[in-house]
Amino acid sequence: MDDPMDERNQMNGFEDQLTQAFVRRPAPPGLKRRILNQRAQRRTVQMRNRVVFWQRLAAGFVLAAGIGGGYTWHHVDQERKGEAARKQVMTALRITNRTLDQIQARLAARESAEHE
Amino acid sequence: MIALIKSRFATLLIVVSALTLSALAQQPSPLPMPPQLEKDLAARASDVTEVTLNKSMLAFASKFMHGKDEDDASVRQLIEGLDGIYVRDYEFDKDGAYEPDQLEQVRKAFATPEWTPIIHERERHGNGSDTTDILMKVVNGENRGMFILNAEPRELSIVLILGPIRVEDLGRLHGIAGLGALAEVEKDSHAKVKEKNKDTTKVKKDGDQ
Repeated sequence: MDDPMDERNQMNGFEDQLTQAFVRRPAPPGLKRRILNQRAQRRTVQMRNRVVFWQRLAAGFVLAAGIGGGYTWHHVDQERKGEAARKQVMTALRITNRTLDQIQARLAARESAEHE
Repeated sequence: MIALIKSRFATLLIVVSALTLSALAQQPSPLPMPPQLEKDLAARASDVTEVTLNKSMLAFASKFMHGKDEDDASVRQLIEGLDGIYVRDYEFDKDGAYEPDQLEQVRKAFATPEWTPIIHERERHGNGSDTTDILMKVVNGENRGMFILNAEPRELSIVLILGPIRVEDLGRLHGIAGLGALAEVEKDSHAKVKEKNKDTTKVKKDGDQ
């Protein structure tokens, strides 16, 4: 059997501990400042990360737009130059053809005149 | 001392690069037209058409002939093998805008054994004369070029086509530019070349005897 005296002593001890625990103690000096500082720091880091993320995203968009625009411009420019070169070829062939036609017509006229 | 050598080397490099670039930019055109003559004719003409297409330009142009229609495909086939097309066409408001001597300068440039005259004709009339020259460049029996000079009192056309001209390709162009006329010229050229070769053989035989 347990001794009732021991049991009471144990209870008193527990009460003492509980009383000690519930005693109101002042916060250490600067705790509030430290907590506020930490929170502000955390917010600043979060803010900076967010800004960096958007900056990177924007830079990515600008780069993609730049590359895409450059490629499109190059493609359009090549098409324009190619079309100009194509037209030049056709012009050259048309002039060649016209010249030969003139020559043939002249020769034919001369030949028929000779026959007459 | 090293800095001085480096700076001099850099200057030399820049000068050499500039000279190379300018030399590349001023590649002489195979069309034997004195630049001054070209300027004079262009200044006097009321309408000028100048086409200068070298091998790389022709290759570039052929890439843009996508073969949407038959004509494009035929022209592409024709120009792919060519080395160049050079055309000068001048139209004048009045007669006598150029001197016959000026044309002689151009003609002389083609007075070489590889150029065979197909047509050389001069027709005089009241207000001047019409001159026609067609020459073919024949190398090892193959057609490697064509030169056309057509001079009328109010029009002067000079065409130089360099490279192998295939008759079958020209035939296909008949529809778009009537270039079947070229096929006729090509046939004439073969006849002339054969004739020329025959003459040469005859002369050789005579020489042997």
